[in-house]
Amino acid sequence: MSGSGLRLRPPRHRVDPRFVLWRTLQALLWGAGVLGTLGAVYTLAEVTRPWLGPVLLVLAAIYLVNVVLMPSWRYRVHRWEATGDAVYALEGWLTKKWRIVPISRIQSIDTERGLLQQALGLATVRVTTASGEGKISIEGLDARVADETVDELRRITAATPGDAT
Amino acid sequence: MTGEGAWRRLSVRVVHLDLVRVALSCVPGYLGAVVLNDDGPVWALVAGSAAGVLGALTDLLRWMTTRYRIGPDRVEMRSGWAARRHRTVARDRIRSVDSSAKALQRLFRLRVVHVGSGEHDSSFKLNALDRRHAALLERELLSGAAAPEPEEAPAETVIARLRWQWVPLNIVTIWAVFLVAGPLFSLYWLLRPFGVDLLGVARGLADWGSLGVVGSVLLCAAVGYPIGVAAAAGAFLLENWGFELVRAGTPPATALVSRRGLLGTRTVQRDDRRLRGLAFREPLAWRWLGLAETKVVTTGLSQVGDAGSGALLPRLRLGEAREVAARVLADGHRPLEAPLRRHPRGALVRRLGWAAYGPALLAGLLLLFTLSGALPGWVWPLPLTVMPVTLPMAVVAYRSLGHTTAGPYLVVRGGALHRETVTLRRGAVIGWTFEQSILQRWGGRMTVGIPTAAGDRFYRAPDAGTEQALSLAREATPELAAQFIEEASDPGVRPVSARTDRVMCD
Repeated sequence: MSGSGLRLRPPRHRVDPRFVLWRTLQALLWGAGVLGTLGAVYTLAEVTRPWLGPVLLVLAAIYLVNVVLMPSWRYRVHRWEATGDAVYALEGWLTKKWRIVPISRIQSIDTERGLLQQALGLATVRVTTASGEGKISIEGLDARVADETVDELRRITAATPGDAT
Repeated sequence: MTGEGAWRRLSVRVVHLDLVRVALSCVPGYLGAVVLNDDGPVWALVAGSAAGVLGALTDLLRWMTTRYRIGPDRVEMRSGWAARRHRTVARDRIRSVDSSAKALQRLFRLRVVHVGSGEHDSSFKLNALDRRHAALLERELLSGAAAPEPEEAPAETVIARLRWQWVPLNIVTIWAVFLVAGPLFSLYWLLRPFGVDLLGVARGLADWGSLGVVGSVLLCAAVGYPIGVAAAAGAFLLENWGFELVRAGTPPATALVSRRGLLGTRTVQRDDRRLRGLAFREPLAWRWLGLAETKVVTTGLSQVGDAGSGALLPRLRLGEAREVAARVLADGHRPLEAPLRRHPRGALVRRLGWAAYGPALLAGLLLLFTLSGALPGWVWPLPLTVMPVTLPMAVVAYRSLGHTTAGPYLVVRGGALHRETVTLRRGAVIGWTFEQSILQRWGGRMTVGIPTAAGDRFYRAPDAGTEQALSLAREATPELAAQFIEEASDPGVRPVSARTDRVMCD
């Protein structure tokens, strides 16, 4: 059965290039918020310095990588596709994650647009199943593509008989 | 909305029961406030009484405000006085109906009916109905599956019954001593207001000073252990008295029905159509003794409570558990006994790595704090001392890894402290996730995740070889996998996976 050299083929579509900008902005905002708060505490309350110092150091390094490296790396990895009977997505950067959900097992299909995503014209498509771990989020799609995909998925899902799980 | 049926009330006997509860709750408060009436700490007794009375009154209020009705396509319940709740559950979403009764409820011939619909917040319980209505409701909601009362369910095959050999298997535990320590501690506080000083009594029992610390501990254990084991035996029998697991009903509408309990009986019905698989749970100590606990993997049981835990049988010898499992699955397959494919050697290296660098990382973090002056110098090497424990555990964790497919089932096994062998019907797989970190990519391994609507909702085969992982998906769901998994054009591209594809049998 296990022939030599099985592999997962990459899903067909890339996410929108604006994904990189979106994730960079997001990481910047988070970094500024978290480091700013901790930094303020660090400067104001002297007793916390021995404790906060190392934490700040480690967090600053993490956020630096998150802003500079992570978004474009993720963009190169993230891929998705929706076929007639399954949704298939690949995400991650250090750890890659492939997810497959058959259409017949889909319980709900959502689109989600945060403030930043709205400003950039992006959207997230979320597909859930009866298992909490079995859901797929495809982030950073062009809003129009996302809407079309969701409409298409709703149509196919309605036509596919579910199974009583 | 017509033909919905009339709104019904809970049994009036709930009121009688609550009145009795009010009366019973008053007793300790009366004792504390009137009979003893001194400066001793009687407040605990009074508070206990007050809480009891309050609880009973709240329960009365609940009885007054609760209505339910069974429609042809849905079940509704309205309850609450200040905060009203109206809950509707579609009947085709109802996955389980079971009933239970505590000692006092049993005395009043009442039963609590739990209606489960899978998701936690759309399940509800009717607390309580009289026995006749409860049985009627169970039959009504699970029409098809047989009612739990034996005289109404002629077609029953017994799968397992409580055997006396089970008792010793279930009561031997190192924690038995604490079964004594806990109640003793509360007894000490309970008796204090009555002027009984248990600690003083204990001091007078032996010459503790001459025994030394070790001697004292040993003596306590020697006395406490047998009592603890006896208490565990009592608790086990109380809970499992008359335990039987039967398959009731006529095909295809059959159900697994388990009944148990001496004072409070508990009947759990599990529709066979919702049965997706079985699992053996073997904590480390049991594994050495060759014991296993059997759990069912079904959809639609809430994740809380007795039915939710999925525990089907008490602890059994592995051999016996396997026999019962074969009868529970009833399709002639014995997937839990199938030889498993071992995971590649790299998985062991990874686990040993975790065991080594986990403590090292913690030590490094503490060192940072030491350098910044927050911690004294002797603290940071402490995490390194756990390595003699974590390293052997890594080997144990690796040895428990395994997966395979067997007939219509797939099997995954994993876990160091709590090893769990799970078998799942292939049709219950509702998708796949494959995860690969950088190190796993270099080693040609990936972690397979199996989402399902049943049981824990997600099972994993960690650190399987890439070939093994993708083969598992191909064997379990051939059509789905064929769309995403392809044979690489040139096998020579992935020399690593060829090395890790060795299949070893357990």
